[in-house]
Amino acid sequence: MAFISSGYNPDKPMENRITDIGPRSYEEFLPPVIKKNFGKWLYHEILEPGVLVHVAESGDEVFTVRVGAARLMTVSHIREINEIADKHCDGYLRFTTRNNIEFMVDSKDKVEPLKQDLLSRKQAGGGFKFPIGGTGAGVTNIVHTQGWVHCHTPATDASGPVKATMDVLFDDFTSMRMPAQVRVALACCLNMCGAVHCSDIAILGYHRKPPILDHEYLDKMCEIPLAIAACPTAAIKPGKVEVGGETIKSVSVNNDRCMYCGNCYTMCPSMPLADTEGDCIVLMVGGKISNRISMPKFSKVVVPYLPNNPPRWPETTDAIKKIIEVYAADANKYERLGEWAERIGWEKFFEKCGLEFTHHLIDDFRDPAYFTWRQSTQFKFTK
Amino acid sequence: MELKHKTPLLDELESGPWPSFVSDLKREAISRKTNEKGIDYQCPAEMPEDLLGVVELSYEHGRTHWKHGGIVGVFGYGGGVIGRYCDQPEMFPAVAHFHTIRINQPSGKYYTTEYLEQLMSLCERRGSGLTNMHGSTGDIVFLGSHTPQLEEIFWELTHNINQDLGGSGGNLRTPSACLGMSRCEYACIDTQALCHYMTNEYQDELHRPAFPYKFKFKFDGCPNCCVASIARSDLSFIGTWKDDIRIDAEAVKAYVGGELKSNAGAHASRDWGPFDIQKEVVDLCPGECMAWDGSKLAIDNSNCTRCMHCINTMPRALRIGQDTGLSMLVGAKAPILDGAQISSLLVPFIKAEEPYDEIKEVIENLWDWWMEEGKNRERIGELMKRQGFQKMLEVTGLKATAQHVKEPRSNPYVFWKEDEVPGGWKGDINEFRKYHQR
Amino acid sequence: MPIADEAAAKQIILETLQKKKGKTKFYLKDFYKFLPDEKLRDVKKLVNKMVTEELLEYWSSGSTTLIGLKGLGKQHAADGED
Repeated sequence: MAFISSGYNPDKPMENRITDIGPRSYEEFLPPVIKKNFGKWLYHEILEPGVLVHVAESGDEVFTVRVGAARLMTVSHIREINEIADKHCDGYLRFTTRNNIEFMVDSKDKVEPLKQDLLSRKQAGGGFKFPIGGTGAGVTNIVHTQGWVHCHTPATDASGPVKATMDVLFDDFTSMRMPAQVRVALACCLNMCGAVHCSDIAILGYHRKPPILDHEYLDKMCEIPLAIAACPTAAIKPGKVEVGGETIKSVSVNNDRCMYCGNCYTMCPSMPLADTEGDCIVLMVGGKISNRISMPKFSKVVVPYLPNNPPRWPETTDAIKKIIEVYAADANKYERLGEWAERIGWEKFFEKCGLEFTHHLIDDFRDPAYFTWRQSTQFKFTK
Repeated sequence: MELKHKTPLLDELESGPWPSFVSDLKREAISRKTNEKGIDYQCPAEMPEDLLGVVELSYEHGRTHWKHGGIVGVFGYGGGVIGRYCDQPEMFPAVAHFHTIRINQPSGKYYTTEYLEQLMSLCERRGSGLTNMHGSTGDIVFLGSHTPQLEEIFWELTHNINQDLGGSGGNLRTPSACLGMSRCEYACIDTQALCHYMTNEYQDELHRPAFPYKFKFKFDGCPNCCVASIARSDLSFIGTWKDDIRIDAEAVKAYVGGELKSNAGAHASRDWGPFDIQKEVVDLCPGECMAWDGSKLAIDNSNCTRCMHCINTMPRALRIGQDTGLSMLVGAKAPILDGAQISSLLVPFIKAEEPYDEIKEVIENLWDWWMEEGKNRERIGELMKRQGFQKMLEVTGLKATAQHVKEPRSNPYVFWKEDEVPGGWKGDINEFRKYHQR
Repeated sequence: MPIADEAAAKQIILETLQKKKGKTKFYLKDFYKFLPDEKLRDVKKLVNKMVTEELLEYWSSGSTTLIGLKGLGKQHAADGED
């Protein structure tokens, strides 16, 4: 492994430096049929799960085959995607916001060979490399965060629970039997890089213990004022502690105020947060971002604790499967999960889904909590 | 082929129909181990193997093994690189340093294989061979590289691929857009053009610290909000229209008659019975502005809230209006600290035409306010709550309209400003005493 | 209007940072306070310029960015990036 210079000179970092050029222009990457009919599309239709046709005013058609993917993707896998795009799609492709890949062709006769090619490619363990689906009233791919693959504050993994969940929901990725689309998202801690707070189903990693303090090294490793300033609830104070008969500078944490965000650990590696028993999964449901029919809504916590159980998180996937099946059977056509729960009443939601309602599910965080309590005698009795 | 670490727990994620990241990681591990192309890897070839090892250890422990690092980056940029270190560097030396690089994705995420191959070649030679397609905010992510390679990667990106990094830290984050007019008949605005323009217009804010905290732009072409702008961006741009929904009366009849598939075929895997325009469209309209008399669909557009339901349901019969523009909403964020927020409507309608001067004026007024008044680590949505919506109107010079609220206030605590009350607040006590005893 | 006496402003920033005890990294907002008479955008530009002159350096938490004197602080050693 000999170092090969790109041309960069570390002694003169500003020499020939190119900055602030932004991304490449999207116009370079549009397939010809897309470029030609830009802004002139008339309508679209989902021909079958995962296959769309868009028809332009010119009469041109573009057929799209959408496939799922793990967003953690290797160079080898992307090269295989390239190979497919070169073979079938003149070297063009796109990714969707929800980690799907779209292969586009400009005539119908190219669809079937493309589909066959995609479905014929399997992984070593038998899984599809390119499962076709993710359209219409079904479950599309999960948007998610980094988890144990790359994050320093996760309460759970991301790629693993996503894989386990999509295996369980696979038939609903490849079909469209739901009353409306079901958007699943995962964030591995409450910082929610994946902003899952408006998803039909949100899988959230959650810490339940404040950071552990490595007093002996804290002042050596960290700038204490930065750790203190990082805390959103002002739970950290400077303090002196005795270690081995010596008084040293450290911090103290007001554990009751800690909301387990891990911001202090970001600033100070002597305040680790991860804990095997403490860390868990929270399920939130009923959010949406679309303005269709009802306004966008937040997801609500319906399961405050599930064990963080690698490698397949069975308690989590069971609960999700249950909720989705009850929703599929009970909701009206077009009704999103949250709209359904609101129509039948959340008390009925818990009854129908067989979920236990506990005190942890009653909001007690600051002012907005009051507006979630029931200021009415109207409620439904449940068994 | 035998890999460096045994991964019995991760191996359980190789079964099942969904693509397995474990199988994929192993594939890359073998590709680097065998190195058939004889690549002079600038980061250790064992990176995927050691990553599998670290993740397996996390599966055993139920805890992460990563630490954050704040110093690494490319010279002169405050964002684009996230430092990561493994807390078991002796066990997993190849990923002891494992920094992420965010690459600003082209608007709408269309690619050519040529461009992707350029990126992959770079990621393979100077990185770990692992990516995220894409990160949560929309970037192309190179997962894991060593510190000395960061400048080299940046150099190759800018010199050879004509491609810049994305944002991180207290900067403008990489803006993202739905695919918009390129392939969607619902697009009210050219989201890709607007996103690309704003990304370039605000390069300084994207690469160098400018703000109290992160700031995100997202651009949705219509109120269906496919890129989740309303939930995931500090400033949400959502296409909409002012005039009438265009109706093709014949196509409406074709939907009613069952010749056309309702909802563009989105419900096809289940028998929901024949399409019932009254029940499925007219009765579900939140504006209650539609009527079907058995042969003709009428829309009272003045009561339409542009929720998209009827258009989504009958895309061949109904089309968005032609007087199009966008709504701007402010302040979405994830829950820390005071709870999650969805963006609030600030500009009900604005035209989206280059050079977008009116839009930029709103953006810059908001930024000036936030830079001045925002506390460290306070998102603009929190500032808006702390100082009030009225303050936001004041700083943007926008006039209050009933569209700004779902309902008017239910408390009467109006804090009048002195200049709003005749005579101001300097009452003359002597004049008052002429008529009122002590 | 850019900062009239840039050299003096730089000096103020450097001296103020050198005087701070126990903390080597600051939010951009703190720099505004060092130069209260200047426009925020101008201070921002100057601070970012000083980074390219290798007087200051960034420290990123991922979600926020801090700025301090180049090479100072405990994180360099902690990260093994000395």
